[in-house]
Amino acid sequence: MKTFVALMKREILDGKNGYVWTPVILAGLTVALVAMSAAGFGNVIEFNDMEVHNIGNFSEMLARGMAEKPDDIPAGMTIAYWGMSVLTWIAFPFVVFFSLLGSLYEERRDRSILFWKSMPVADWMEVLAKLVTPIFVSPFIFLGVVIAAQLAIAILLSLVVIVQGGPVLALWPLGLMVGSWFSMVGHYMIWALWALPILAWVLLVSAYANRMPFLWAVLTPVVLMVVEELLFDTQTLAMWIGDHLAGWQGEAFAHIKDDFQGPRDVFATIIGNMQWDALTYSVSNPSFWIGLVIAGGFVFGAIELRKRAV
Amino acid sequence: MTENVIEARGLGKHFGDFSALKNVNLDVPLGRIVGVIGANGAGKTTMLNAVLGLTSYEGELKVLGHNPAKERDALMKDVCFIADVATLPKWMKVVDVLDYVEAVHPRFSRAKAMDFLSRTNVPLDRKVRALSKGMTVQLHLAVVMSIDARLLVLDEPTLGLDVIFRKRFYQSLLEEYFDEERTVIITTHQVEEVEHILTDVIFIRDGEIVLEADMDELTQQFIEVMVAPGKEDEAKALRPIRQSSTFGRATCVYKNIDRETLAKLGETRRLGLADIFVATMTGEGQ
Repeated sequence: MKTFVALMKREILDGKNGYVWTPVILAGLTVALVAMSAAGFGNVIEFNDMEVHNIGNFSEMLARGMAEKPDDIPAGMTIAYWGMSVLTWIAFPFVVFFSLLGSLYEERRDRSILFWKSMPVADWMEVLAKLVTPIFVSPFIFLGVVIAAQLAIAILLSLVVIVQGGPVLALWPLGLMVGSWFSMVGHYMIWALWALPILAWVLLVSAYANRMPFLWAVLTPVVLMVVEELLFDTQTLAMWIGDHLAGWQGEAFAHIKDDFQGPRDVFATIIGNMQWDALTYSVSNPSFWIGLVIAGGFVFGAIELRKRAV
Repeated sequence: MTENVIEARGLGKHFGDFSALKNVNLDVPLGRIVGVIGANGAGKTTMLNAVLGLTSYEGELKVLGHNPAKERDALMKDVCFIADVATLPKWMKVVDVLDYVEAVHPRFSRAKAMDFLSRTNVPLDRKVRALSKGMTVQLHLAVVMSIDARLLVLDEPTLGLDVIFRKRFYQSLLEEYFDEERTVIITTHQVEEVEHILTDVIFIRDGEIVLEADMDELTQQFIEVMVAPGKEDEAKALRPIRQSSTFGRATCVYKNIDRETLAKLGETRRLGLADIFVATMTGEGQ
């Protein structure tokens, strides 16, 4: 276990730019943007389904919201904070993809594999560390940065509201914020397990390709899709990949009503039922399990290639 | 002395039609410093890679009781190596390298490594990428010499180092690292720098071991004579394996001829390992 922790630490150190600096810079940028808008243009921030008139500044808007829809403000603020985290999360899938793609390729290219192999560390452990770190560790770094950014934004807005003399406490729906952080983790874990065969494929390519791993990773499935289309006039592979990347959620959440009654309703659904729906839908879905088996096969292949690589 | 570090029987490695190693049989006991000498592409690295579990092979091979192809990770607790290219990860800081090795290697002594490094100019907070070639090698050597291994394999360890450091390195290898519980295998082109520390040599050519010998016995076999004037015919009659002339005097090299007999012909001296290698490889010594 000590060895595995050391390997994950090494992976994070190696991928520091992607895992740490990317979210820090993007979240910092977001906080800066919010600071500028909150200070200069108090009326830029909008709440979608609220009718707001004659807004003088941010505090006035908040006070009015509290007066008209007091139940929706906490959920609305939490969702707004997440909206302000989008910029950071956009980078996340790219970081995961390129970390996996380089993980077993770069060490062969720069020959550092010979140094890693001079240590008493099994190849399966190396490969698992290179799979687990981007998929199951790096999201927590991103989340940590996002949480810090959400708190920073809340503090900034609080300062503005204090100066303007508005209802500061409305900016701190802490219970909901903490709840949203946890449900985000839950939802991500299920998503990651669905996407695991695709992510493990990228890892396999990283162990296999001697050149141009990106083309191998992307073109191989594209060529297979085209061949399938031409030969059988079907799109099974494309559908399957789409399903595992995101499409499964359509089915899993199909029964959720889409006539939400304001932010509170949306939030209650996200935080309450969706995790459970996703979990029950996934474990009872053969495609979910088949995907995990395929992922296992790809990881096994990557380990075997790592054993032979010099 | 009966315990062998390496036992190879019929070891081979083929890439298609090309045989990088052919039917190698080898026993290397503990407590030796073995020089593996051969031209580029002779199979030195292939043989060492097989021993280190870095490549598949045919035949039987046991290294410290392990099957290297299947148990590399267990083997690496007792075996340490530096490959012939710079392999330290360039993105790591020197101190990160030490942290990592300390975390994954049960036999690594950080105190020892710090001691070795304190004698160099390697800065701990610098990235490997920013180190000079010589410093990178110094760092790598400091790491492996701080691991309490039983077999150390060094493939061209001092490439790119200046002569002062090379001398110092071989000296500390001998004085601070080597003992009868360890074996060191060295390949290098700078034969004259290692020959005084070697206990055994292996000559390898075209994937085959041409010669495996005890260093003392080997160097006693070859004697070079600066033939005294007038004794040229006598010298020729003893059938030297090589003759040349320097400064107008004939120089003859003999194999397996009694030193006292040769002393009558002129001044004698032992032949250097590099010359023995050349003599053996060109077939003169056979």
